[in-house]
Amino acid sequence: MMSNGAGGPSGIITRTYKAGSIIYFENDKSEYIYILKSGKVVLTSLKLDTGEEVKEEVRQGEFFGVKSALGKYPREETAQTMGNTMVLVLTPADFERLVLKNANVVRKMLRVFSNQLRRIVKMERSVLGEGEIVNPDAELFKIGEYYYKAGILKHAQYAYKRYMEYYPDGEHAALAMKRIRGIDAGEPAPADLGAHDAGPGASPARPSGGGDDQSPNESSGPADMIDFDVSPEEREAPATASTSLENEMDDFLSDTGSTGPDDFSHTGTMDDGSPRELNDAADASFSKRNYTTALKLYQKIISLDRRTSPDERKLFEKAHFDAGRCLIELGRHKDALEILSRVLRNFSNSPYVKSAIFHIGTIFESVNQKDKAISYYNKVLNMSPKDKLNSEALNKIKQLQGR
Amino acid sequence: MDLDEKFFEKFGVEYAPNEIIFCEWEPGNEFYFIQSGKVRIVKLIQNREKNLDVLTEGDVFGEMAILEEQPRSATAIALDHVKLLKLHRDNFDTLMAGNPQLAYKLLVIFSKRIYDAKRRLMILLLEEPQLKVMDVLVMLAEQDPHLDLQSEISLNVTAKDVSRWAGLTEDDAQKELTHLSRTDKIELFGDRIAVKKIREFQRLVASRRKNMFQ
Repeated sequence: MMSNGAGGPSGIITRTYKAGSIIYFENDKSEYIYILKSGKVVLTSLKLDTGEEVKEEVRQGEFFGVKSALGKYPREETAQTMGNTMVLVLTPADFERLVLKNANVVRKMLRVFSNQLRRIVKMERSVLGEGEIVNPDAELFKIGEYYYKAGILKHAQYAYKRYMEYYPDGEHAALAMKRIRGIDAGEPAPADLGAHDAGPGASPARPSGGGDDQSPNESSGPADMIDFDVSPEEREAPATASTSLENEMDDFLSDTGSTGPDDFSHTGTMDDGSPRELNDAADASFSKRNYTTALKLYQKIISLDRRTSPDERKLFEKAHFDAGRCLIELGRHKDALEILSRVLRNFSNSPYVKSAIFHIGTIFESVNQKDKAISYYNKVLNMSPKDKLNSEALNKIKQLQGR
Repeated sequence: MDLDEKFFEKFGVEYAPNEIIFCEWEPGNEFYFIQSGKVRIVKLIQNREKNLDVLTEGDVFGEMAILEEQPRSATAIALDHVKLLKLHRDNFDTLMAGNPQLAYKLLVIFSKRIYDAKRRLMILLLEEPQLKVMDVLVMLAEQDPHLDLQSEISLNVTAKDVSRWAGLTEDDAQKELTHLSRTDKIELFGDRIAVKKIREFQRLVASRRKNMFQ
């Protein structure tokens, strides 16, 4: 019924089968992967939800038995020959060697597999999800609450910040904002629950964090930013009970009062625009030094989170960077640092990275942390392509070192 | 894995120990490939943080983001100093074309995920709660290659875990487990369940599944 031959490239075995032979049965365990060379193979499986029999014909040159072999699971189908058939038999190692030479094959398979996985996961969700409506925004907030109550403030802060980023108008936005402020201001975790928090070593004067024993500070940014010390007058006042929540939200979004009169008139109509429209309006405000308005519009682009087209992606990254520039102009250094380090971390291949690093340098410079500032300018200096920013960085370094 | 330097420069990100990489329920558009360091995957279950996995160099995580825009199903936290490649879903095709090894890696992961998801779905599609609970135990037994399914086995699961896999309320799952324990099929411990004859469960579930469609 079957014969082994030494044919095939690099010792891959060839097998021939007569019509009606079974190459493998459903539930067999085997690591072999097959390629149909000639003849005909039919795969028979049962549909999960209806038990219906599904038959699928393998075409010449196609692989079969891949998933179960790679995933090390029992065969999910029975493979039977129709007519005299010749197949190549591969071990996973052979298979890997073969497909690595042909990126297209892997890509095609990957597409097929990901479609299958998407379908199954969807089905699973629909079976599981009946009658259970989940709100991702409420759930994200719950994560923050969990870590907050557990006294792991750094993680709580992360979740709250993501909440504000994605759901600035969400149901829990006010409370999330309040928590962010509280943590930033060094407020300890809830007293009754934060038993392992804020040990004797944790200084209450710390500008942020304070809760986590591993690293008592900000959750974001390169490690060397940890001891970024905002001068006291720049530190945001802790949220007090008397602050109305609406005010806090407004505060977060606009920070009115720190700049001169601002033109809010066109934001009302632009608020619902496309990222492109919002961006143009934001750029216009920025050029008129209306940083509060510009910031609001950039933040709107961020919260829309549209990243389907390359253009939208670019605007999304740009909005982060420019929001950072607005925050610098508004004197909100800590927030600026936060969003610019997000540019470095999240969009590491973006054209804004270099400028973001440069601006981080200026933030440190403005709070008189010369060494830090120099180290960031130095990074810019060494980045290619060499352009105007490199020479600006060099000037800054000279300036700072010359005192 | 020999990816070129440029690739690292372009997509490399680093995290300090105990820093969150992404958190459960956060929208996700990127998947990650670990270059060095360890990443802890945790999930809040019944308001408790549960460790799902610790991943190391060469592992991929967040890969479900390739498929669709869904919130993250778990939280990823850097365990030590971690270097990652952070890859956006939109660049997927280009990335895969240039990095067949990464593509191969994902192919293997997806193969596993497809089977795992199908297997879980099979449990959920059973009708009787009793069978669902049995099949959860069968699935868990199958997943551990070190177990000898011919003899009594011990599974590190709680009633809560079982209820989740079975898509039952905790009460219902507990009821079924208690019943199985009364009929001496299993033994319940706080943090594990001992199954006397898992093969018996396997056969029973298989035959019921067959009949279900007839």
